[in-house]
Amino acid sequence: MTDHELDLRLPNDLAELDALSSRIEAFMEAAGIATTPAYRLQLAVDEFFNNAVDYGYPDGRAGEIGIEVRRVGDKLHLVFSDDGDPFDPFAAPAPDLDGALAERRVGGLGVHLVRTLCDSFAYAREKDRNVKRLTFALAD
Amino acid sequence: MIHIDRIVAGTIVVTAVKGRLDSSSSPKLEEFLAGAPSEGTILLDFAELTYISSAGLRVVLKATKLVRGAGGTLAVCGLIPQVHEVFDVSGFSSLIPIHPSREAALATMT
Repeated sequence: MTDHELDLRLPNDLAELDALSSRIEAFMEAAGIATTPAYRLQLAVDEFFNNAVDYGYPDGRAGEIGIEVRRVGDKLHLVFSDDGDPFDPFAAPAPDLDGALAERRVGGLGVHLVRTLCDSFAYAREKDRNVKRLTFALAD
Repeated sequence: MIHIDRIVAGTIVVTAVKGRLDSSSSPKLEEFLAGAPSEGTILLDFAELTYISSAGLRVVLKATKLVRGAGGTLAVCGLIPQVHEVFDVSGFSSLIPIHPSREAALATMT
């Protein structure tokens, strides 16, 4: 059962971020999604969008980023896709979270947050696009 | 969208952040904190912070290193549950003291 859906196609430009987060926030409100799952999904889109724009198009070419959000039963489904260079963020090593403050490096922190806060995550390279599929439990 | 205020409470400098700390707004906090005295006791009041991403966490980490490097203390307070969760999952909760409210923080830090 799919009762609410959001389907966005955006250029790979960080100037889109403010409008994107507003669109997602409006969707979450309209779909009656609780604060915690809404926050977690917002964070996933934010981190993936930044990573895709910052690292996916090193030659500076124009690209297209797709964001689909669906509420299905008791889960939120996110499909995040981009036509940037192939990259599986979930294959990267987890950041060092136990080091002392002075040695602490926070590279990979965004992906670590996302994979920890979602219920399931998967990556595939499909039709020259990086496709990430995530689910989030709806319970607050 | 972000709004930053500095309030001096006795010997403690409180920086109150309102809104969202993401990649587009975090540089504003970074700039604000870089212009603040880094020695002494700094409290980041996040009671009206509705969102933080890894970009915001990086600024908090950088400020913490700066303040501790100068022999000072930095703490945060007033985290909403979702922001607190991000602090927990990132491991920041074990690095940076978190107080439930500004009042509780000021009582402890003074």
